[in-house]
Amino acid sequence: MSIPANITWMMAAAGAGLLLTSAPGLRAQQDIVNRASNFTTIEYYGGTNQLQMKSRLSGAEALPQPGGLLIIKQLKLETFYPNGGPEIVVTAPECLYDPMGGTASSAGPLQVQTGDGKFRIEGEGFLWRQTNSFLTISNHVQSAGESGATIGTKP
Amino acid sequence: MKHLNLIVIVAWVSLAIQAQTNVAPSPGSTTGAATSLSTTPAVRRAPTRIDSDSLDFDKTAHQMVYRGHVMVDDPQMKLTCALLTTDLPESGGRPSRIDAETNVVIDFFDDKGQPNHATSDRAIYVFNVQNGVTNETITFTGNARIENAQGTLTGEPIYWDRANNHLHADNENMVFRQNLTSVMANTNPPAAEATNLPPGTNAVIDRNTNSPAGADF
Repeated sequence: MSIPANITWMMAAAGAGLLLTSAPGLRAQQDIVNRASNFTTIEYYGGTNQLQMKSRLSGAEALPQPGGLLIIKQLKLETFYPNGGPEIVVTAPECLYDPMGGTASSAGPLQVQTGDGKFRIEGEGFLWRQTNSFLTISNHVQSAGESGATIGTKP
Repeated sequence: MKHLNLIVIVAWVSLAIQAQTNVAPSPGSTTGAATSLSTTPAVRRAPTRIDSDSLDFDKTAHQMVYRGHVMVDDPQMKLTCALLTTDLPESGGRPSRIDAETNVVIDFFDDKGQPNHATSDRAIYVFNVQNGVTNETITFTGNARIENAQGTLTGEPIYWDRANNHLHADNENMVFRQNLTSVMANTNPPAAEATNLPPGTNAVIDRNTNSPAGADF
């Protein structure tokens, strides 16, 4: 199995444990009940911005599932502009993360907030496709923005 | 007759200017898309809400697409449609294009509190600056219609040049309502015109004006 070239995986464990073997390529630790804590995976921009984060997906816990999938608890997904400024922050109680496919999804609620905090979106059910940075919110989208919020613009 | 036409023209120019003030996209507004047809007064105001069945945020294409039962609720306007697409410029600034499609309905109040009602199959907002000149237009197409207390304008399409406070329609059809009481109270009666119409015919009320080419208001 290969990992997309511009995606680097980082995981840290709160406690001592074994290397996570369910997702080859990952460097992580987990406790004896197969729970990794403080999960983080980072995607970088390519080219001249290769050291700049494009997105960072993190969670308080990662529970390995069959097929190399992970259930991420307390998901936090952040995207960044090429200059490093925060673009959006997505939070959700949990999601199913596919490290190889680069997708995160959930039927549950999520919240999205712009980097400046002036625009917020809530909805139920989502799919994040990491490879093309595409977020779909499936149901009950409710958003509210203050005047002057800057989604999609430079920070 | 000329006097009445003048009233209508003034009414529509007034509508365009007032609407421009109240139904324009906000600079730097996020909701850009949705709020693009809303205003941004200098004073702080209530948030703009945008609800829909679903939403796609495409970071690569710099687009946000609201789908299904799209409702924009702004303190000074309400918009509903089935699909709302906002192009988010990579270089920053306000949305360069907002496309509202399918059963577009926009209700807004002008600064006098007068309701205005616009409907069309599609409404496209475009903003750009070329050679220092700001271009900002809203184009209504497909059964386009703008209505207020003064009358109703239909056209295919109706162009709203917000940068120049100018409303223009091709293949326009203008139907105006005239409140006889207000007209009589606020204006001098027009001079009698020579007419071949039979006695008792009112040639100026609820008149339809059709012209083959584009017309400016």
